[in-house]
Amino acid sequence: MLQLPQAVIDGIMLGSIYIIVGIAFSLVFGVLHIIDFAVGEWIMLGAFAGMYLNLWTRLDPFLLLPVVFIVFAALGYLLQPVIHRVLSGVRGNPLLMGIVFTFGLTLIFQGSAQTAFGFKTHSIPSRFSNGSFDFEHGDFFLTFSTVRIAGLMYAAVITAALNYLLKHTNFGLGVRALAQRKEIAGLMGVDGRRTTGLVFALYTGISAMTGVVIGTVLSVSFRMGPEYSIFAFFVVVLAGMGYLAGVPAAALLLGILQSFFLVYANPTYTLLAMFGVLYLILLVSPRGLFRKGM
Amino acid sequence: MAEPILRVERVSKAFGGLTAVNDVSFEMNRGEILGLIGPNGAGKTTLFNVISGYYRPTHGRVFFNGRDISHKPPYYLAARGIGRTFQVVKPFAGLTVLENITIASFLKHPRRAQAEAHAWKVLEFTGLADRAKIQAASLTLAGRKRLEISKALALEPTFLLLDEVVAGLNPTEADRTIELILKVRDQGITILIVEHIMRVIMGISDRLVVLNFGMKIAEGSPAQVAADPGVIKAYLGEEQE
Amino acid sequence: MITLKRDRRLQGAVVVCAALLLVPLAVHDTFYLRVLTEAIMWIGLALAFDALAGYTGYLNFGHQAFFGIGAYTTAVLMMKSGWPFFLAVAAGGVAAAIGALIIGLPTLRLRGTYFAIATWALARAIQQLALVTNLVGGPGGIRLTAYLNPVYFFYVMLGVVAAIFFVLWFLLERAPFGLKLKAIREDQDSAKALGLNPTLLKNLAFILSAVPTALIGGVFAYWITYIDPGSTLGDLVSDQALVMVIFGGMGTLIGPAIGAVLIFGFKTLFWTYLAAYEVLYTIVLGGVIALTVVFLPNGVLGLFYRSRRGRNAPSLLRPKTGMPEPSGKEA
Repeated sequence: MLQLPQAVIDGIMLGSIYIIVGIAFSLVFGVLHIIDFAVGEWIMLGAFAGMYLNLWTRLDPFLLLPVVFIVFAALGYLLQPVIHRVLSGVRGNPLLMGIVFTFGLTLIFQGSAQTAFGFKTHSIPSRFSNGSFDFEHGDFFLTFSTVRIAGLMYAAVITAALNYLLKHTNFGLGVRALAQRKEIAGLMGVDGRRTTGLVFALYTGISAMTGVVIGTVLSVSFRMGPEYSIFAFFVVVLAGMGYLAGVPAAALLLGILQSFFLVYANPTYTLLAMFGVLYLILLVSPRGLFRKGM
Repeated sequence: MAEPILRVERVSKAFGGLTAVNDVSFEMNRGEILGLIGPNGAGKTTLFNVISGYYRPTHGRVFFNGRDISHKPPYYLAARGIGRTFQVVKPFAGLTVLENITIASFLKHPRRAQAEAHAWKVLEFTGLADRAKIQAASLTLAGRKRLEISKALALEPTFLLLDEVVAGLNPTEADRTIELILKVRDQGITILIVEHIMRVIMGISDRLVVLNFGMKIAEGSPAQVAADPGVIKAYLGEEQE
Repeated sequence: MITLKRDRRLQGAVVVCAALLLVPLAVHDTFYLRVLTEAIMWIGLALAFDALAGYTGYLNFGHQAFFGIGAYTTAVLMMKSGWPFFLAVAAGGVAAAIGALIIGLPTLRLRGTYFAIATWALARAIQQLALVTNLVGGPGGIRLTAYLNPVYFFYVMLGVVAAIFFVLWFLLERAPFGLKLKAIREDQDSAKALGLNPTLLKNLAFILSAVPTALIGGVFAYWITYIDPGSTLGDLVSDQALVMVIFGGMGTLIGPAIGAVLIFGFKTLFWTYLAAYEVLYTIVLGGVIALTVVFLPNGVLGLFYRSRRGRNAPSLLRPKTGMPEPSGKEA
């Protein structure tokens, strides 16, 4: 029972990172209307990028975050026109073709990672990696590992930044307009192509950046892609597709769920449990916990 | 007096806080053309969607030939003889015109060969036979609206809901559509029609029901409704053709 | 059926099947026989995938789950309960039908994107389940009594896949069912107004996709004599089926068959000469999918049947109807 509060704390700290994954993914869905199957792969690629940059420059991964962000945002911005072409309804169902396309990307990224990086699992070392704050009160003992706190800080900063961007800038206004009514947004002077490109760039940049954090707090391997894709799907479906406000609750729930499985049950069953929950959610309330999804 | 073919009884439809249709009641007799008019946003299409099974009424009931159809899905109603068109036309874009009508014909003609034969007959009736093998996506707006009506007719309905089938057409096309509607009525099919273009709906309707803000504000012959002060007030400032 | 004779594509298929019947008489090298058997297997898997994907627009990213259900059901029934081969395979088909209903009823009500995620997630869950359940041998898999007769299995596979092709062809290209599915794919609301029940039809299509896959899986199990979660429930089965269908041309049955032959041919060559670069295969698959979506949205078949009638033409091959053509011109 003494483990319960610790499990909850760890869950919240994990969950905070998942919030970022969820927000970025939900944002892309809301504006581009595609499910990016490759979401976990962007995270994986970012994690590997962070790992290698760390090896070469000896800089702390948290300092490398802006670099990774810029690189992957640029990649995303370059890729966006291709996605736009796929989604422009050349065939009967552009959304489905979008999914198929990103699925193809997933295979490319996975294969490339496996080729380039091999089979091992790594962890990115950081100045924060080995510390912890311990809190003791009689029999009550809590550990706050510093690297996880750093992860929490990261999540807080990015959430605040995104919130500011979406609610208090013209760009954010354009994004929200696009998400709601594409045609009308165009009439109001929102440059659809450019804004969409920037949103996608933001998404890839943030996902990759989050990958670095995940690689530091947890681990990096070429196999991590599908796992985080599942996490992203889970969070976004639970929150309601395109409903950003629901993401924090859903992400924290996921973090706690994962944490509990780590502590109390065989972690192998975590994924199984998640699939089960995802399936049940889609059964009972496909528009998410708050019924606000698309 | 014969049983009315359609009876809308105190139907209301609310979406969250917004009441789109509020306590509307009217009846329709077999073989008549009833026009449903009202300013934009008056709730006409919502009412259509309730009658044709796409929405469930929040309150009230809908009776067709004496049977309660309030909670039945659209495909059940199609089998019972109710056909409808959509305001924003919904062709099966990737299929040919013939395939579109064939699919509609399956309801009463389950076998492929008979369904296609029936489809050709419908195409002759509505004047689309020369475009049978074209992709529906390539039709002009007038063609698509005509396809929309053809699909509904292929169901061999006794009751037809037409949602703005004339809007957006030039006067020649509009006149041809009106001719078609009258031809349909002459076959004995009862028609409930929503239309914004006044000269059209005043011209072909036997009776009218006027909605405003979701409520029925007038009912009667076109002459009566045109003279009704409430109706005039509702349309004050609106363009009329 | 009077129109059977006039359908050139069907005639072509009959000719191909007849030719294939003669293959074992000409080909005696067991290696080549096995390659051909596998090629035929992939045609079957691609056809089954297209039955759902091409006609309803719902992509089953967990297609391999049914393959695995068929394989495992057959293996378990044969090894643990002594069932005869054909009965065990049939039982696999039944299991798949039940599975399709369980998965399909809740998820097919939703839109295509949700279905894609749900099936993707479920298939991985089933694979995990197989890895931890000892009943089905866990990671070690199941070993079946070896019956090594390549000619026998060639004919069994050919028979099963040919049957699948003709049944699917009839149901999807000739009978009303296929058109009804396409109607739902194009516009569900309009289809409802015409008397079609989308949920019912989608579920039927799902079963139509699941059962053949499981039957093939069952044959595969006995043929290969050893199955494990990696080979039967892994991503490769559905990844390849997806590529074959997209590359060949969705929604036409002929397209996926051609796609299967091409992709499988490529795969065989790749593994023969470039086995050292096996990881590249995944990249190539992904590249083919991505490039096909961007440049060849109607697949290889789309190149042959360029439509003059408008941009959106997923239904490229319209069946001959035997009805007299009108003399009017197309606009």
